Amino acid sequence: MRVEYINPFVEASFNVLREVLQSDVKRGELYLKSTSMPVMGVAAIVGLAGDVEGRVLFDMDKPTALKVASAMNGEELPTMDDLVKATITELANMITAQAVTKLHELGFRFDLTPPAIFTGDNMEVTDQDVEALIVPMEVPQGRIEINVAIRERS
Amino acid sequence: MTMQAELEKKSDSRTEEKKERADRVDFKMVTFSLGGKEYGIDIMNVKEIAKASKFTYVPNAAPFVRGVYNLRGEIISIIDLRTMFHLPSERKQDGSLESLLILRVEEHVFGVIVDNIDKVVGISKSSLQPPHPIFGDINVKYIRGIVENAGKLYIILDVEKIFMVDKDLKGARKEAAYEAPKPGMSERAFTSMEADGGDLDLGFIEETLFSFRHFAVTPVNDAWVKARFGQWKGMRKGTDLQLKEPGEADQYLETFYSRCSSVLWDSGYADQVLPVLPAAESRTINVWNPGCGRGHETYSFALLLRRKYPQARIKIWANDSDLLAISMAPNMTFQEQEIPEAYREHMVKGKNGYSFSQAVRDSIFFEFHDVQNANPLPPLDIILCRDTLSFMDVVQQKRLIAEFSERLKASGIVILGGNEKLVAGGWKSVSGDEAVSAYGKD
Repeated sequence: MRVEYINPFVEASFNVLREVLQSDVKRGELYLKSTSMPVMGVAAIVGLAGDVEGRVLFDMDKPTALKVASAMNGEELPTMDDLVKATITELANMITAQAVTKLHELGFRFDLTPPAIFTGDNMEVTDQDVEALIVPMEVPQGRIEINVAIRERS
Repeated sequence: MTMQAELEKKSDSRTEEKKERADRVDFKMVTFSLGGKEYGIDIMNVKEIAKASKFTYVPNAAPFVRGVYNLRGEIISIIDLRTMFHLPSERKQDGSLESLLILRVEEHVFGVIVDNIDKVVGISKSSLQPPHPIFGDINVKYIRGIVENAGKLYIILDVEKIFMVDKDLKGARKEAAYEAPKPGMSERAFTSMEADGGDLDLGFIEETLFSFRHFAVTPVNDAWVKARFGQWKGMRKGTDLQLKEPGEADQYLETFYSRCSSVLWDSGYADQVLPVLPAAESRTINVWNPGCGRGHETYSFALLLRRKYPQARIKIWANDSDLLAISMAPNMTFQEQEIPEAYREHMVKGKNGYSFSQAVRDSIFFEFHDVQNANPLPPLDIILCRDTLSFMDVVQQKRLIAEFSERLKASGIVILGGNEKLVAGGWKSVSGDEAVSAYGKD
């Protein structure tokens, strides 16, 4: 993944999470991964197109998703209902959009697809031959992994 | 003998003859030409042949996809085999028809454009010979074999391998997994210990180099390691030869690194590299620079390429898996006194010092990337991989060298570190100069 793309995603994740959760956010060590990986339980995905092709996946477990959604809505949400899903989708959208805006300022053209959300147990995501950058984020509600895979169109 | 009997005998021998011929024909192939050479495809993969033009262009598709076509209500994609295999092709005038083979591979149907479709030939499996690397235009793994028929040689393409990329990759990956039982100590290190009449010290040094600095001794670098061992004995006066800490491993490796490592290349070194660069084949020069570190060599090489190919569009993919090193690369700045004279004209002054001009920077993609993962790259003219192979384990080295061979154009070259060698089959040295290790395809 091009070096220029890394910081916008890291910064956007950090800023948006801190803003919507009104709390401390800690960033873990970035790393690359290319094998299939388990999804923790709730995954929101946003596709990228334009000069590049790729996707951003936001991955967290169910309790984290519920807590994050509760914090964002300012009320206790005990079950995985439509409001929770819509909230997590919106979070994914906000982070990706902010990153893409930053990239736009640097002169890279990206388009977004509408986010989609997946929930369930024992899920696994496999995308062949795609190397993903993992940005782990620790928030008081739990751990959110942002999984960015972008490559240039050749 | 009656007339009747004679007739019967005749027809008998005729059917026998027919039978014999049928025995010899194991399968039939459709033959065609691509860029002046004869090729064949198993007829079982060919649904029909057709002539067509006016394909509907698909934006942003791979260059070898000419478009889609409506074949009696079924929409199929049209692939230009000549572009796919980098063979010369003439674009037909507007309106004239292209020769198409409609192929079926598993459940997929698609059309491929070829120069000319010739005829159907029956062949027997026994006359099929394995592909020879000399058929350089098309990657050997896509060739099922060669047959002779009526004085002509036909290259039989393996359609499943060409178009079922995913399946192939899965298989390859599985093989790699089987092949990688112990990434730790190199097999070769053990054998060399025995071969050298039990020179245990060298064996231990090889092992500690790997555990301290992940430096694997393989045919890529063993000549240097042995020569260095001789010096090392002299330095240590023959006693206490082993490496006990990482610092000592660094000391041992001190003379391994190529000239101008982690600094901008001086003009002396650049002049040594210049003559090994191949002649420009097209207007775009694609370069891969795995293990670029902080990017000094990438910039230096970019400028050298501009000198060698002033007309060409240069594209360099530079990767490193060290996030800290590679993050600095796109915006590297220099102080005035550290810039060699030859680089001045390509530098612009900014707030924090001098940096390379936008034109130079635009030709380089710096990527945070691990070369052990998939490398989505176009066919390459040059691979610059100095002092990188040696720091991978044996299996990884093998895999990367195989990847070099797959990605490199027939006329392309690989430049390794000054003390690294590519002795594997299929490579030949192309540098007259000892100072630069450059290899081309044999």
